[in-house]
Amino acid sequence: MALTDDDLPLGDPAESLALIQRERANLVRDITPDPRLMLWPWGFAWLIGFGALFLRYGPNGHVTVDLPSFVPLNLLLLLIIAAGVVTGVVGTRHARILSGPTSRQGLYYGLTWAISFACMVTLFSLFADDLPEERSSLLWAGGMVALAGALHMAGGALWNNRDLFYLGAWTSVINLVGIVIGPGWHSLIVAVLGGGALLLTGLIGWLRLR
Amino acid sequence: MSDGIDPQVTELDPVIHAQARLRVVSALSVLREDDRVTFPRLQDSLRMTAGNLSVHLRKLEDAGYVEVTKTHHGRTPTTLVRLTRRGRLAFDEYTAALRALLNPLEES
Repeated sequence: MALTDDDLPLGDPAESLALIQRERANLVRDITPDPRLMLWPWGFAWLIGFGALFLRYGPNGHVTVDLPSFVPLNLLLLLIIAAGVVTGVVGTRHARILSGPTSRQGLYYGLTWAISFACMVTLFSLFADDLPEERSSLLWAGGMVALAGALHMAGGALWNNRDLFYLGAWTSVINLVGIVIGPGWHSLIVAVLGGGALLLTGLIGWLRLR
Repeated sequence: MSDGIDPQVTELDPVIHAQARLRVVSALSVLREDDRVTFPRLQDSLRMTAGNLSVHLRKLEDAGYVEVTKTHHGRTPTTLVRLTRRGRLAFDEYTAALRALLNPLEES
């Protein structure tokens, strides 16, 4: 069989090691879902959804923009569902590239988000009507962000990903601060600092893979 | 030394010493044990033709370094590739040997 260029070895060990590193980095990038696609939809959902919530239900009942009362919370839920669909589709497509434990972990992690959110939404919708509007909004918003923060931290533990763990811890801390300060401020804090952190983590993750 | 290759370098594992097979094994080495990657994704990542990749995979399979499995995702036939334990060991030894060639003092 004739030798092609491919069959020839590289002469220089340093060149070989560089080639090894390059191919390893290439495959890591090709089997990892784009962090921008996984996190930016959530970042925009929080920025816009919680932003609308702040503009309509500001601190001490302040109304900056007089949106119809049902708009902010429904807009937020809609944006969150849209973000869930985008990340679900991207994650599923990626899971098909691999077969084995990593792909199974991805499936379980995705299902964890879906099932735990479904439980929380069902529970909150039973109790939210019994609370004044301001407190019910805080219950929904604070609960949703608490769960997202916890699941991002769990994701950090699962994938051994420091950025994801920091994102979850940061989200949990700002959520706590917002809940203590009260409704209105909570929406602003989560929109800017929470949504911003999601966008930033997506960007950092993408830059690391490039 | 007419071809410019260090004689020590030519003593390395001949199966993965060929550039193309070294690239295949390097890429596969990022997978966790028991993880398999689809053939088309591996091919894209390595920027090889399907025919070329198949030839090199066959040689690696003959050496027991990779395992190629044909299966189905729904109705679509899929070919999956993984690095065997033997392949991983060979890759680790190969990279260790390269490093030793670069820094001979560290070995002693």
